[in-house]
Amino acid sequence: MSEARELPRRVVVAGDGQLGVLAAIALKRSLPACDVLVIGAPPDPAAMADRMPTALPFTNKLHDRLGIDEERLVREAGASHRLVVRYRGWGGMGQEGNAPYGAATDPRLRTGFARAWGIGPRNETAAAPPGSLAEVLAAEGRFALPSGAAGAALAELDYALRWNVPAYRDLLVGEARRLGVQHTRGAVGGLRLDGRGGLASLQIEGRGAIEADLFVDCTGPAAALLSQLPGYAREDWSEALPVRALVFDRPREPMLELQDRITLAPVGWLSELAGRDGRQAVLAMIEGTTQDAAYQALPVERMDVVPIAPGRAAQAWLGNVVALGDAAAHFEPLGWFNLDLAHRQLALLLELLPGREIDPRERAEFNRRAALMADRVRDTLGAHYAAPAASHLGVLDRSPELARALDQFTRRARLPFAEEAPLLAQEHTALLQALGHQRGESALGLAADPREAEAAGAAFAVNAQAALLSAPPYALWVREVLQA
Amino acid sequence: MPLTRPKPVKVVVLGGGTAGWMSAAALAKLLGDLVEVELVESEDIGIVGVGEATLPHIRGFVERLGIDEDAFIKATHATYKLGIDFRDFGRLGESYVHPFGSFGEEFAGVGFHHYWLEMQRQGRADPLGSYSLAVEAALAGKFRPPAEDTSLASTYGYAYQFDATLFGPFMREFGLGIGVKRTEGKVVEVCQDAASGDVTTLVLEDGRTVEGDLFVDCSGFRSLMLGGALGEEWEDWSRWLPCDRAAAMPCSHVTEEIEPFTQVIGMPGGWRWRIPLQHRIGNGYVFASAFMSEDEACSAIRGAAESMPLADPRVLRFRAGRRARSWNRNVVAIGLASGFLEPLESTSIYLTQMAITYLIELFPVNGPIDSRDRDEFNRLVDMEYDRVRDFLILHYHATVRDDSEFWNHVRTMEVPDTLKGKMELWRETGRVERYADGLFYDASWIAVYVGQGFLPRRHDPRTAIPDPAGIGRAMGSLQQAIRQEVAAMPGHREFLTGRAERLAEAP
Repeated sequence: MSEARELPRRVVVAGDGQLGVLAAIALKRSLPACDVLVIGAPPDPAAMADRMPTALPFTNKLHDRLGIDEERLVREAGASHRLVVRYRGWGGMGQEGNAPYGAATDPRLRTGFARAWGIGPRNETAAAPPGSLAEVLAAEGRFALPSGAAGAALAELDYALRWNVPAYRDLLVGEARRLGVQHTRGAVGGLRLDGRGGLASLQIEGRGAIEADLFVDCTGPAAALLSQLPGYAREDWSEALPVRALVFDRPREPMLELQDRITLAPVGWLSELAGRDGRQAVLAMIEGTTQDAAYQALPVERMDVVPIAPGRAAQAWLGNVVALGDAAAHFEPLGWFNLDLAHRQLALLLELLPGREIDPRERAEFNRRAALMADRVRDTLGAHYAAPAASHLGVLDRSPELARALDQFTRRARLPFAEEAPLLAQEHTALLQALGHQRGESALGLAADPREAEAAGAAFAVNAQAALLSAPPYALWVREVLQA
Repeated sequence: MPLTRPKPVKVVVLGGGTAGWMSAAALAKLLGDLVEVELVESEDIGIVGVGEATLPHIRGFVERLGIDEDAFIKATHATYKLGIDFRDFGRLGESYVHPFGSFGEEFAGVGFHHYWLEMQRQGRADPLGSYSLAVEAALAGKFRPPAEDTSLASTYGYAYQFDATLFGPFMREFGLGIGVKRTEGKVVEVCQDAASGDVTTLVLEDGRTVEGDLFVDCSGFRSLMLGGALGEEWEDWSRWLPCDRAAAMPCSHVTEEIEPFTQVIGMPGGWRWRIPLQHRIGNGYVFASAFMSEDEACSAIRGAAESMPLADPRVLRFRAGRRARSWNRNVVAIGLASGFLEPLESTSIYLTQMAITYLIELFPVNGPIDSRDRDEFNRLVDMEYDRVRDFLILHYHATVRDDSEFWNHVRTMEVPDTLKGKMELWRETGRVERYADGLFYDASWIAVYVGQGFLPRRHDPRTAIPDPAGIGRAMGSLQQAIRQEVAAMPGHREFLTGRAERLAEAP
């Protein structure tokens, strides 16, 4: 007979950036009777999950689940939409390619049965889709929310949101207050261990010891709580990821665009995010980049340089401390996976949320899956640096999984299924092509009747035309939401 | 698009059983003129053909080959299957259905089974199966194809129970119709290239030779090419899965109704199956020869038969395990030549189908076989086998049966570490180790854990948050909705007959 289990009475979230506040909202919603306290400390500028003004489609689903209304984000947090990442130069001089979000799903995969059972091997060669609606809409500057209705022209569309970080955080803080999350400020210190591998309490200046059943470490790369525990270890990713520093440009003129750009540079890469309150550029630099070379790639007057030492916590959950965001995995914001990973790991914590007494096995299961998530993100970044024109960024380690994916894609047009991967197979395929990896030949592709591809192409064109008709120009769409 | 098509790869399939004809037909159909497929079989060699029960994945295979489902059902005397009814596994006298479906829906981010465990703790839950449409429909003897949307009526799937001695010939007819060349003859020698070790030629009894580029070994347990000629090592799993014999005996129907499920009944020396087809019932006793003699098993299956036996029991011998590599050099083993797991969860045809799918994905088209493709194939096949293996072992190990030496052995044996970790996580927290590749996900593990009475010590604490009366009402309305769905479904035989009549009337 299964026993009842006591719920946590108090959870402390260290770090009150956009990640920590959302984690507090999520925990409070899951545990309404639990005290949830957020401790704000001066933010670490290198905490990418707190600093990046954008995430990936998963975050929209998490927002939805946590009652964070997307229209409010548009109205109050300057939110705008990205359908496509445009990669420039990764395949060679002048080469460009689009990596759209979303994937055409066989409706049969949405049934209750298919969700519970799957319908067979997951890594079948994905026939190249005849086109991407996201790409078509982004090119024409038109947008509408994807419709859930089967057969609707926009059914397969997905998107990422960008926002204004302080405004987004303010909105989250308001929501957290409304739910009864408590907040205090001050530097965290005086950690007292509980003798069982975890934390008994911590101290904040001017306040006594704060005890909790569960601590969530959102303090950025320093991992102020997790790193103080016995057994803490970090896996160094510096042999796999070459970027050692970032330069942030000041926000420029507002730019209403459905795509963002990531351009390969001699010193690393340059990302340019559009946004309603200003285009933002970030230059990522490899070791040994001179100031001149950096200035040439991104001419900014006062350089706000942030160091990056990529790696992840070997175990993101030790004792009763769970690290999220840069405290769990710290890496360059290439493709903006930082907050996405943090949010997926937060969702994993919600799935495996422990009682007051934490079982070592649920901690081990979290660590197993959180490590898979982080490592697959590292591999996705690694696929960027393995692009044909990126070899000047260094000779880098490739995990067996990354080596296999690149090999299978370039020879066989095939992507092996990876557990806890950050992208859907179709998104991953599009990304590799946008990066200039040449898709190989599959036996099935060679054997297929070319008329099928033609028919699929024609059907796509019809659907794309319908999508364009149903989607207004993006500026008009935004204006309508703002006036609603 | 290349200007010149690559020269067709000459594929030689050895063995005309289920695996052989499935492989030959799928390769010829899906790879078209990239391949030339020749199948060598001998009428002197019987086929094992016990794989009468399948998993829902078979439907994808049939559909992908462009085979009409109705024609298929008619030709193989197939019935529909909603799951497996296990009796006397966790404990003598108890039973549960492992459905092709799930149980309830998660609520507030917490899986349904946690709420069920909480209500069960409070003494307010009905058996887990009553919250599954697949289970309830199966037990009521009803069948209707599931909805293709996201509603309750979409929460189950179905497979077929068919006559394996008809399925092979059906695939043969299909294969011959799309250009597979059939060669009758018994292989007496497998010739290899002296330098590379690749198989080059099969020599038949009458001196004829069959040459090829790629050889698919579907020779069954004999594993003539992979195990024989190439000497690929066998990984033995009998310490976890000691059953190594089956006594199979078909019987006539006794009742008007046909159960839309397979039955698996725990026996003193193993277990027996009962698979209802349109025209007969398949019965068999899978047992461990270390604990029971063939004569004992044959008399037990005779004694268990509830109707007229249509033949004497036939004893089949096997071993649980798989070859270290299923693809070595230019030989790919598919089916029993590659490995064997007893049909406790009807996985035989799935494992064959899975290997065919991976072979087609990794099929060499431009020149020689690349060792990386071979490694990838072996990685995937191993992953599939290992996951099924652990799931099967669970059925034996999660038991309190102590009424025979066999059950004492499997109850107390050491299990693989991979399974041990899963069982400990469940036992302590009520959580299922999550994976999304391979076969059998959360719903299946939960069905067996709970069905066999292996309940966790604790479950998700958040189940204490909602008002228990509210949980009770929600669970009650799910049962109500399930009952309504089931009531509206036709009986299984009624559905089969109706379908046959509609087929006959069709122009």
